[in-house]
Amino acid sequence: MVGTLLAPFQLPFMARALAELLLLGLLGASVGVFVLLRRLAFLADALTHTVFPGVVIGYLAAGTAGITPGALLAALGTTALLTAIVASGRVNRDSALAILLTCFFAVGVVLVSRRASYTSDLTAFLFGRPLTVDGTQIAWTAAVTAGVGLVLLALGKELVFVAFDPAGAAAAGYRPLVLDLVVNTLVALTVVVAIRSVGTLLVIAIMIIPAATGRALSDRLPVIAAAAGISGMAAAWVGLGISFRVSLSTHTSLAAGPTVVGVLLILYLAALGIRAARGARGRRAAARDDRRDQETQAAQETQAAQETQAGPEAAHAVR
Amino acid sequence: MPFADLLAAGFARRALLEIVIVAVLCGAVGTHVVNRRLAFPTMAMTHATFPGVVLAGIAGINLVLGAGLFGVLVVLAIAGRPGGGAAGARAGHSGRGGQGGAGGAGGAGGLGGGADRHVTTATGVVLAGGFALGVGLLSAQDGFSRDLTAYLVGSVVTVTRSDIVVSLVATLAALVVLAALRKELALVGFDRAGAAAAGYPVRALDLALLALVEVAIVTSMPAVGTILSVAFVVGPAATARLWCSSAASMTVTAIGLAVAAGVIGLWTSEHWNVAAGGTIVLAVGALFALSVLLAPLVATWRGRSAPVPAPS
Repeated sequence: MVGTLLAPFQLPFMARALAELLLLGLLGASVGVFVLLRRLAFLADALTHTVFPGVVIGYLAAGTAGITPGALLAALGTTALLTAIVASGRVNRDSALAILLTCFFAVGVVLVSRRASYTSDLTAFLFGRPLTVDGTQIAWTAAVTAGVGLVLLALGKELVFVAFDPAGAAAAGYRPLVLDLVVNTLVALTVVVAIRSVGTLLVIAIMIIPAATGRALSDRLPVIAAAAGISGMAAAWVGLGISFRVSLSTHTSLAAGPTVVGVLLILYLAALGIRAARGARGRRAAARDDRRDQETQAAQETQAAQETQAGPEAAHAVR
Repeated sequence: MPFADLLAAGFARRALLEIVIVAVLCGAVGTHVVNRRLAFPTMAMTHATFPGVVLAGIAGINLVLGAGLFGVLVVLAIAGRPGGGAAGARAGHSGRGGQGGAGGAGGAGGLGGGADRHVTTATGVVLAGGFALGVGLLSAQDGFSRDLTAYLVGSVVTVTRSDIVVSLVATLAALVVLAALRKELALVGFDRAGAAAAGYPVRALDLALLALVEVAIVTSMPAVGTILSVAFVVGPAATARLWCSSAASMTVTAIGLAVAAGVIGLWTSEHWNVAAGGTIVLAVGALFALSVLLAPLVATWRGRSAPVPAPS
């Protein structure tokens, strides 16, 4: 087991993949906590799809180097559009989101389908190639992770306020729309840096599942964030190790990205199990406490009754 | 290419037939999806159906049937039934805890709470996990990328006669169920508590609706693929909602719009030689965008208020 976790990463490309995925695990988890808190899961999913045409156009225009700028432009543009749609309430927003995201995605598909290497290109865009990341990519991811971390630390209190009481926050002078835009931009940035390694479709998993795991374990925000970060990074490490070992020892190739997500899912199910067990114990403990409270109360009442019966003098005499 | 030429080729005729059949199904089911605001659960179901397709491909059975079987499991997980989807129910519970009392009727998992509960943790996890599972399974196979794109974005020009027969049977069955249950489904959609008090099996009706959505997704998959099928289900119905104020007229309009989008998309795809799944969805989107712009204008011109605003 230790061999599975350490040995593969002595290979340079595996070490780079590990560094990249650890960073992404941390980044996705921290953004994901706020996504779930603001109930923006659908919006985040929409963003992962709407970035896709940007990726394709960037790639068609400038090759591999064009992917990140293209994705960035598409991400920022659609972030504004999606935030506006959700805020306007002009049309049923779920339906509008579903239509918008599939249309953007369809633009990407149509553009890719003009190319001769259609299917292989499409697969790379959708699912990423974690084993081919280079140093620059890792540096970008690290920079974005640090930037997003700073923003979350700086605005954390406001974001939580808006999440729990939008009306109150608006009354207190905050602007929910601006804060929504901030969260959505962070989601968009996460999607953009994750495209090359995990692809547009699995980004949603590294955002939602770790945060859901944290949420299953605790009700307190710092604990949720910590649990999310740890489960995200642990899954990256273990998943890469397993994928490498399985692909090497058997002759089936097990793609790295999905394996990482599989480990995330297992951690989530384990967290649900812990929650259920703790819930059962909590209920028993609560019942016990109730019983004890009742007994103490009953005892106190009896004592009080006895004292009243005996009268104040008797009580005084006893003392 | 003129439209008549399109019909000359056998594969194009089959594609057109398939698209029209699927359009009728998606338009009819989509009306309920839009009115009950189930777009996000539908999205999650499309993603989670994907591993079923892959499994069916590996096992060598008919993709639509295999995905349909798997889809039943997905429906159970999303609906959070005590037997089938304990994890889903519990996840729904944990998500609800964090939503500050937004979820009143949370027990039904992915369904039934109404507008505020459209994003549950369970739905998000099903969505994200389902896809990863499918890709993981696929990557263990040879011919990874070729099959993958066919599952994901569809390839309507390669539908076979048996695909069409399966679609036709599924569509007829779904239409019969929808027609038989139309009053009950409308009642549950508009007044859930009232329906429950009147003795209707509300949860069974929820399940029936989810199952119908799954049928629509699975049936439309060979034509438009798992990612884009949500557009075919939600798009025409959402467009119809901008124009219509009754469930019946909305259903008819949605079916008409879906058929139109399918035909336009297929023709564009043949004409420009691009992926048909993509152009069909773009046609759906264009009709929606046009309607968003035009419906209020037409309503003002007619001198009455638009039947539009679905409060979000």
